[in-house]
Amino acid sequence: MYASTSGMPASRPVMPARLPIAAILLWLGALLARAVPWLDQLDAGAVLSAFWAFNPDNYSSVLAHFSWAPRVSIAILIGCGLGLAGAVTQQVLGNPLASPTTLGVEAGGQFGVTVATLFAPGLLAFSPDLVAIAGGLIAIGMVIALTWRLGFSPVTVILAGLVITFFLGALNMAFLLLKGEWLGNLFIWGAGSLVQNNWAPFMELWPRVLVISVLILLLMRPLQVLQLGQSSASSLGARVGLIRALALFLVVLMTATVVSRVGVVAFVGLAAPVLARLLGARTFASRILWSTLMGGGLLLLADTLAHWASTWGDGSLVPTGTTTALIGGPIILLALQGFRNTHHMPGQESNLAGFQPSRRAPLLVSGIVSGLIALTVVVSMSWSPGLDGWNWTPVTQWDDAWVWRGPRLLAAMLAGVALGLAGTLIQRMTGNPMGSPEMLGISGGAALAMVLIVLTGADVGRAGQLGAATLGAAGALGLLILLARKHRFAGNQLLLGGLALYVFMDAGLRLVMASGGTVASQLLNWMYGSTWLVSETEAFGLLGFILLICGLLALIVRPLTILPLGDTSASSLGLPVTKARLLLLLLAAVLTASATVVIGPLSFVGLIAPHLARVLGQQTVGRQLIVAGLVGGLLLTLADYLSRIVVFPNQLPAGLLAALVGGVYFLWGLSRHGKA
Amino acid sequence: MCTERVAKTLTAMILIGVLSLPASAGTWQHEGGSLALDEQPQRVVALNWAATEALLLLGVTPVGVADRDGYDVWVNEPQLPEDVPNIGTRVAPSLEAIAELKPDLIVTSAEMAPAAKLLERIAPTYVISVYKEGSKPFEKATDMLTTLGEMLGREDHAESILADIDNTLETQRLRLEAAGLTDRPVALVNFMDARHVRIYAPNGLYQSALNALGLENAWPRQGNFWGFSVVGLESIAPYEDSRIVVISPTAPGLADTLASSPFWTYLPAVNRHQVYEIDAIWPFGGVFPVKRLATMLADSLLAGGSDNVR
Repeated sequence: MYASTSGMPASRPVMPARLPIAAILLWLGALLARAVPWLDQLDAGAVLSAFWAFNPDNYSSVLAHFSWAPRVSIAILIGCGLGLAGAVTQQVLGNPLASPTTLGVEAGGQFGVTVATLFAPGLLAFSPDLVAIAGGLIAIGMVIALTWRLGFSPVTVILAGLVITFFLGALNMAFLLLKGEWLGNLFIWGAGSLVQNNWAPFMELWPRVLVISVLILLLMRPLQVLQLGQSSASSLGARVGLIRALALFLVVLMTATVVSRVGVVAFVGLAAPVLARLLGARTFASRILWSTLMGGGLLLLADTLAHWASTWGDGSLVPTGTTTALIGGPIILLALQGFRNTHHMPGQESNLAGFQPSRRAPLLVSGIVSGLIALTVVVSMSWSPGLDGWNWTPVTQWDDAWVWRGPRLLAAMLAGVALGLAGTLIQRMTGNPMGSPEMLGISGGAALAMVLIVLTGADVGRAGQLGAATLGAAGALGLLILLARKHRFAGNQLLLGGLALYVFMDAGLRLVMASGGTVASQLLNWMYGSTWLVSETEAFGLLGFILLICGLLALIVRPLTILPLGDTSASSLGLPVTKARLLLLLLAAVLTASATVVIGPLSFVGLIAPHLARVLGQQTVGRQLIVAGLVGGLLLTLADYLSRIVVFPNQLPAGLLAALVGGVYFLWGLSRHGKA
Repeated sequence: MCTERVAKTLTAMILIGVLSLPASAGTWQHEGGSLALDEQPQRVVALNWAATEALLLLGVTPVGVADRDGYDVWVNEPQLPEDVPNIGTRVAPSLEAIAELKPDLIVTSAEMAPAAKLLERIAPTYVISVYKEGSKPFEKATDMLTTLGEMLGREDHAESILADIDNTLETQRLRLEAAGLTDRPVALVNFMDARHVRIYAPNGLYQSALNALGLENAWPRQGNFWGFSVVGLESIAPYEDSRIVVISPTAPGLADTLASSPFWTYLPAVNRHQVYEIDAIWPFGGVFPVKRLATMLADSLLAGGSDNVR
């Protein structure tokens, strides 16, 4: 994405005029759209003066002063804050997919609010921000602690951030699913709503945002040096690690501070810097300025749309998180068209710097992992809780136990294998360690189909569920091929396209969540891996399918080793690059789709398994594939067992447990290597 | 002694005869197809709280209930005996736990449609959705009660329960009418946090109680199929002549937050001291919450309002 600027002619050093024009249009449009509905109740002067005064005899005026004006103000304030935070995050991490969300802030904030709501509601009454900010800081604290020894290299920070996000996100979901009735406020908080009925939140927020902004701006010069890349920056005497840690801390503080009051307004921190860059902001200073302004305008526009949608529909709340996602999606798609075809970005190391675990014999590792899978299967089939306590089912009675424990176990294992393979394929193809089947948009497509079904209120059986998910996944794949063809199915374009799809799905999900009721719980339950619904037929069908794909994969390991060398080298080695990429993409997509259809779209295994394979010392493609597949299988097998037993007779989605188990192991691995 | 034994045996035989009477066996059409029962079910499992409530009203204690601890907190009445086992959450019950109970009837809703085949493997499944797109909750709940009454041989129970609810509603209506309290509309709300409320819509279960009491619902729009909409607090401002009935629970500190917001203190209903608060009721139950709401609503309106939540 930095490369997008390098190709421009050097004779255009001035800032393109479209930046200020776009910003002015955005702001004016949003402000006008916001004010117009009031003009039939109040005159223009009264609407304007609503920001500082009101007429107690006219309730419209009271409403404008205490509900409308603070909402407009807080939207702008929070948007600017998130835009600034987003621009700095992308600078520090050098990744166009990175945003404060990547660092686990929002998941951490939600975790704080969840725990407080359940266990210390008095704390929330005392200060609504305290717990959210504390949660966000815990998240970034974990990320920084884990990557301390590795010098905060961008890749490790992103990975640790993602893992923390999934980890805390999984805990949040578990609470929502088990204690949903107690957490009605969290469904709204998670969807993001800017509704205000008081000036107090704004008045408390703006000084904090101002102070953090000033601190961030003080860091600007050192941050600019980072753009030169780690080694050059170090040679200039910059204390790279310290600067990064400080910048990340401030970014998180900013994000946590603003979301604490209104909940998760998604994608502003991602879309604002992307938009600024897309419109031609090139220097770091101009990116910061325009990203901040764009952020404010975008959030105001999104909130206006949300408000309109609320009043036009049946009056029920359309969360601002939904509309920010709806606006963020197209911006990311635009970025997809705007960015040059780049494999790697300056400032982004393709490998985990300082994170090269010693190689280990693949046979030994595979053997151990397979043995663990077998052990998990035996324990899972035999040792289970019943209503009267735990009991051991001897092998001779597995026939009876099979019905309720077998198919889901088998399906979980296979889905894990499929996701492990798909994740490795995608990370190898894109050279982006954030790459995962979820990012490819296939699961997003499947989930989008399910969300739409839920939104229309139709109830479908298992067959309908499977059909819809398949259709959604296929549609997403078609769209992805269409979008990525221009870029010869390469690099980050793939991930951006997938991300855009994911964003749309997210918009729908937030809408469902804010509307509450068990519909949201049901959807979340399916999305995070509902192995309990798997029947024997489905499990065996998946088995045949995965075996077939594995056979195909064995035939095409070679292209994968060559592709990351770059297009030219790959072509000169006689590889039809585009075709090879398309084939790999198709395989990865089909693997993801088959797993998604059976166990749901969000399982995190596809992201973590390839990295775990590396932690286990498998560096070459073939070995990484095999071990990642096995590790994925082990993860989900174990997760399925745990999901059944940890809170028996309640059960949690297996994907949640996979995130918890895989996350813990990965974090442990990361911290251990950091110390070595 | 001998005669006593004969008498015992006879009673036992009569009892067995009564229990095995084919009276309740039969075939029913329901949302999941048709359901044939050879004999009257003895062990019933309920996968949601509306079904649990209906069974308890009929005097049948289910052998397993989904999220039973939650039932005690949110539904509470009719009371569920302590020893009924929990069989998992309401969105993802444990099939193994259900199978372990060896039920002969499972009552669930279309929400469980993806698991329908698996449930059928355990026991005949009666699918009825009080809450789904386009359904009328009170009528559906009445239907569920009477159908379960037929299946379980408790038609009399079902009839007397419905009659009792009718009577209660009529009594409460007369109370309100006598006090002249039916003039202003009411807005029924649950506070989600200090900024958002669930407002109960005309297509929900609560509307049946309002209709029977002769009260008008302040909120004119359709809600989701559960019968509510989540709205920002400012959405209730335009309905200036309505009273606000807050259904518990409310978060600690809410009263202070509201009192410090001029938006709330200038609200016409607040100015008129027409904010009422009633105890928690489960809004997604069967027929019983209608009776509970009507009684509490009448009591609360008669007791008079205040200018804030408790």
